[in-house]
Amino acid sequence: MKNIDKRFMMFLSLVMLQGFLDQIKAQDTKIRGFVDIGASIREDKLNFEFGEYDLFITSELSDRVSFLGETVFRFDSSNDIHHGFAVGVERAIINYNYSGNHSLLIGKHHTPLNYWNDTYHHGRVFFPTVGRPLIFESRFFDLHTTGVALQGHNLGKLKFGYNLMVGNGLGSADIRDNDKYKSVTAAVHIKPADKVQIGVSFYNDIISQGAEIFNTEIDNKIKLQLYTGSVSYFGKKYELLAEGTLLNNNTDSIGSKQSFSSYLYAGIRLKEKWVPYARVDYINYQDTNSYLGIDDKSSFLAGLRYEISYLMVVKLEYQYIKGDITGSMNRVTTQFAIGF
Amino acid sequence: MGRIICNIILAISMGFFLPSSLNAQGNGLMIVANGESIPAEMDMVQLQAVLKGEKLRWNDGSRVSIALMKTTTPVGNNTCEKLYNMSGNELNKYFLALVFQGKVKAPTFFNSIGELEAYVAQTPGAIGVLPESKESLLKIIIVDGKPQI
Repeated sequence: MKNIDKRFMMFLSLVMLQGFLDQIKAQDTKIRGFVDIGASIREDKLNFEFGEYDLFITSELSDRVSFLGETVFRFDSSNDIHHGFAVGVERAIINYNYSGNHSLLIGKHHTPLNYWNDTYHHGRVFFPTVGRPLIFESRFFDLHTTGVALQGHNLGKLKFGYNLMVGNGLGSADIRDNDKYKSVTAAVHIKPADKVQIGVSFYNDIISQGAEIFNTEIDNKIKLQLYTGSVSYFGKKYELLAEGTLLNNNTDSIGSKQSFSSYLYAGIRLKEKWVPYARVDYINYQDTNSYLGIDDKSSFLAGLRYEISYLMVVKLEYQYIKGDITGSMNRVTTQFAIGF
Repeated sequence: MGRIICNIILAISMGFFLPSSLNAQGNGLMIVANGESIPAEMDMVQLQAVLKGEKLRWNDGSRVSIALMKTTTPVGNNTCEKLYNMSGNELNKYFLALVFQGKVKAPTFFNSIGELEAYVAQTPGAIGVLPESKESLLKIIIVDGKPQI
């Protein structure tokens, strides 16, 4: 009996203390971040490189409302005021979890168009390779969308997930839309087995005549659609990620033009912390008259990732890139990415 | 009165500073929870889905709050292996990635079993993993027909 009394007393004391602590931290805010620093050999010389300094904030404002913010500091040679560094608000999302696994999100998002953009964001410590796939240089889509979204995940036996987003779209700014047209993104995925995800997505937008995107002024109104598909498997031993993206641009003067980009990544965990990997990328532009690039590219890279811990990763990578116009290039890069 | 105050201080100190391994009875684990709508029985697949953050709310709308011992403690390490089939490092990476994607709220990690028990008792919708024990003042979830895993 005495033992039970003592145990109860101890339990009661801890409950009281926990209650007091909860009062203090009613709003639960956490700040984390990611940094990557590296070095590369290109143009026959060694270059030390500072990557991105990413601050990541989450805050629980109430039982159902939370905030997520991601701000990146990166080098920008055009910015002399802050010693060549520019600040970018990459994500600022207010999340209202209205029912079960369903949420309403408003703010600036990473466009949930493909696996990479919706999974790794700016956290280089999560990237399986040093950098992003070539599609991120292709101007196929805007990485960010400011707007409103409905999101759900892990629904049913197949762990179905969806994202339906309406935003300002290409050519607009974070603070206002440049035209009356809205971008619509619809993405769905399933997880039919442990660590396996299969997804498809669709993006529809209209770029107005005169809009400026990727520093290019648009001469004629462009109707565009993007179709993407992805398969990923990140198991204990093997890693596989494949994505394909088809872009259809339609203008009254030229008609429909398709461009295509894809990549395939594979890795194998040899020991707990060592992962050799390889990735091939491919971009083909059919539409060479608009804001898109004109240089068809292919790339092969092979590297070795050493995961010191979940917060510290070192990668060493060789990449060969061949552009139809820019020619071929070799580079060796090493990166030390951390989370804190 | 002085004795009660001493007891409270002692209890708090024990809860916070005793290594969790001293409280553990063996290698087994048990699942405790706070909430009427939390199922009294689950199978392992359901439990793992909950603990992996795949369920955000219970049927009554209360939020699922996951309470775990830190992965560096023996109980936390045991939890990673038995319930997540991951190492502590993999578990931390798993949840950091999900939080970064904005998909879940990270579990709350504790240094001591007393703290974890108190958190579950204080938080409606909380579910936590403790070392096996014959008694608990919290609701014990039966997993695959057994009170201990």
